[in-house]
Amino acid sequence: MRRPVPSLTSRLARLAPALALVAIAAWGTCRAVGAGAGVPGDRAWAAVSQRLRAELRPGELIVVAPAWNEPTAYLHVGDLVAVDAAGRLDAARYPAIWELSIRGARAPETRGLRADRSFAIGGVTARRYPQAARTVVTDFAPQIATAAVGGARAGGPTYVLAEIGFAPHRCAQVTPAPDGEVTLTFADVALGAELAVGAGLADVFTRRDVRAPGELAVAIDGFEVARWRFGVDDGWVRRTIVTRPGRGTVTFTARAVGLKATGRLICFAAEARS
Amino acid sequence: MIGRWRVRAIGLVLFVVTLATALAAQEDVGIARDETVYMGAGDGYARWWLDVAHGKRGATSEKGITAAWGGPGPTDHNREHPPFMKTLFGLSHKLLHDGLGVSRVTAYRAPSALMHAILILIVFAWVAAAWGVAEAVIAALLTLCLPRALFHAGLACFDGPIATLWVATLYCYWRSLARWSWAIVAGVVWGLALATKHNALLLPFAIAPHFAWVVARQAYATTAPGAARGLRALGWGLVRRWYVPGALIALGPLTLIAVWPWLWFDTVPHVRAWLQFHLHHVHYNFEYLGDNWNHPPFPWHVAIVTTLLTVPAGTLAAAAIGVLARARGWWRSRGELADGAALLLGLSLAASMGPFLLGSTPIFGAEKHWEAAIPTVCIAAGLGAVWAARAAAAALGELWAGARHRLAPTLATVAVGGALIAGAAAETAHAHPYALSSYNGLAGGAPGGADLGMNRQFWGYAARGALPFLRTQAPLAGAPPRPVYTHDATPAWGAYARDRLLAPGLPDAGHEDAGVARSQLAIVIHERHFRRHDFMIWQSYGTVQPVFVLRFDGVPIVSVYRRPAPR
Repeated sequence: MRRPVPSLTSRLARLAPALALVAIAAWGTCRAVGAGAGVPGDRAWAAVSQRLRAELRPGELIVVAPAWNEPTAYLHVGDLVAVDAAGRLDAARYPAIWELSIRGARAPETRGLRADRSFAIGGVTARRYPQAARTVVTDFAPQIATAAVGGARAGGPTYVLAEIGFAPHRCAQVTPAPDGEVTLTFADVALGAELAVGAGLADVFTRRDVRAPGELAVAIDGFEVARWRFGVDDGWVRRTIVTRPGRGTVTFTARAVGLKATGRLICFAAEARS
Repeated sequence: MIGRWRVRAIGLVLFVVTLATALAAQEDVGIARDETVYMGAGDGYARWWLDVAHGKRGATSEKGITAAWGGPGPTDHNREHPPFMKTLFGLSHKLLHDGLGVSRVTAYRAPSALMHAILILIVFAWVAAAWGVAEAVIAALLTLCLPRALFHAGLACFDGPIATLWVATLYCYWRSLARWSWAIVAGVVWGLALATKHNALLLPFAIAPHFAWVVARQAYATTAPGAARGLRALGWGLVRRWYVPGALIALGPLTLIAVWPWLWFDTVPHVRAWLQFHLHHVHYNFEYLGDNWNHPPFPWHVAIVTTLLTVPAGTLAAAAIGVLARARGWWRSRGELADGAALLLGLSLAASMGPFLLGSTPIFGAEKHWEAAIPTVCIAAGLGAVWAARAAAAALGELWAGARHRLAPTLATVAVGGALIAGAAAETAHAHPYALSSYNGLAGGAPGGADLGMNRQFWGYAARGALPFLRTQAPLAGAPPRPVYTHDATPAWGAYARDRLLAPGLPDAGHEDAGVARSQLAIVIHERHFRRHDFMIWQSYGTVQPVFVLRFDGVPIVSVYRRPAPR
């Protein structure tokens, strides 16, 4: 019995796996070995730094995208980024945000904003996003030493640069006793049209070992205006509370939720803004 | 057909090339955090064995053993890890460094490199015996050309060696199905695997179902038809091949105990303590697809996705073709598997990776935990490459008379296998010495891995790459020292200084906030959960600006900060 003669398509199909393997091996190797060429090097960053210094105005914020490239960016422009700016509550107080981006990445701070200027050098794209800056009339966390503190606590309050959700945040850090509350009262402070608050749980290792959430309540002149919980995976949680401009007494109540909440490092920052 | 001695010669060449490659490659690799612990423990174990050999009185007493191997604390003398490789590290240090003047770190690491050479040899031998020499050469070289496996092969740790002993156990067991004397070797090798790392406890999950299938299948034809014929066949098969499980069950634990004097008394409590340590192991941090994981439930797909993003793409593609080709053959032969080796290797992969699908197993070291599974991938790739090459040669011969040469299949195999091996070798060479930060073409290389939010590295070994820069920051002779905050590189700092990789005058500053406060220089080894070290330094130094950033393919792996001069 004669074997049927394979069709041309069938013969070509039998060639396909070998050709595909050679092609995939070449493609995969080029993509892996050549990947570094897609990341701007020091020469590009030095040129970006020079141009940025000419265009940056005082008070403008610099952000980096993607975040993993921050060390390289800071190597070149880190002197233009104050520690307080790196550990900001959010970007609302800055009149413009410079986004230094590679590989088409975008920084979350510039979402919804429109760039008015940009330049690109050697794979780094710098875009300036203007915005209506909020004026901060009271920055609470740096004044933590002036607050009246009540309640059972295992530590704090202190003003620190903490790691929350793997990002830096300047904040007031307090450790309530398990299932306990700590109140921090700022008497007779200036209030604006809104009170922006950011809060979260500091320290990756305590978040791993103690899984209980934290809670923060905000009261103005004795009336509670906000209360929310944040867990170990929530990172830096922001809330904006509408307030009446003038003066008032603001009380922050930090709570370590549950009897297992030992060593719960609750951090918050708050700004009264016009 | 290639002669027996030629096959052995190829195996020997592969062994020597692998040993030389692993030994040479490790010279550039920084000291991993855990290595320092194993080196120290290994020195103690080696000293004890030498004392016993020299008849030192009291060495084998409970007190003498405890002083070298154990203690009341769960990590005293590193008793939470079995000692086989550590003992070899210590003995190798005595022989190669103290005796022959080889560098200290290389002497400790040499046994791991030797183990890797054995792995490549076994892969070659097994595939050559089961399928063919061409498949074997390609499979062995693809196993050698794995960026991360070669990295682990050069460390005084257990992850490379356990992969070797895992595969060695399976190979010996497979041979024992044809020749009883191999069962004894299998039992001893499994014991050595148990004495290397607890992964070996999973080997029965690969061997038991395979053994049951093989013996039942072979006995089925001679078992009388009737109720529960399969079960009866299994029973007969077990009776005929009792020596295989017998050797494993008896010699495995006996070997473990023989090489681990800590188990020579209070055996049950000591074994229990060893296993409980790992059953309740702390969950370290690792980054995976953009999130930091340090608490279960973990994503079930970590092992699969990490493998798909770290094994060279060509190897993965060839493995997929190899699996399909084997499945097609299995289907066409109505379920017949001539040798069962493919099934055994598949079960090996499943047993090695299986625990990481549960979502509760600690996964802080990514690919190293299931490294024993990867040879299966490379063997499948060898089969796939040869199958594809032969199919292409046959198709070409039908299309074009000029291609109908008897050497056509060989040439096609060389072309396809050569392309795969060359690609994987280039990737492996490129990844060196920062292979834990490397990702394959599917991920887009190291920057693609960073974009995906994959783990950057672990064990702090990359700090070595910052030492040349730190040398430029060292104080002049007579000037006060400049303490360095070293965090994850702290355990290796003394070794770097001793080996003169670190300039004088740069002592370790100490731990956490106090260490940062004391430091004049600081390094941060970039992992997501180590960002806290950046922030501690920013707060203390008053600047976010590093003075040096070590990068791999543009991806930051180590930053160095310098405390600004007071204004």
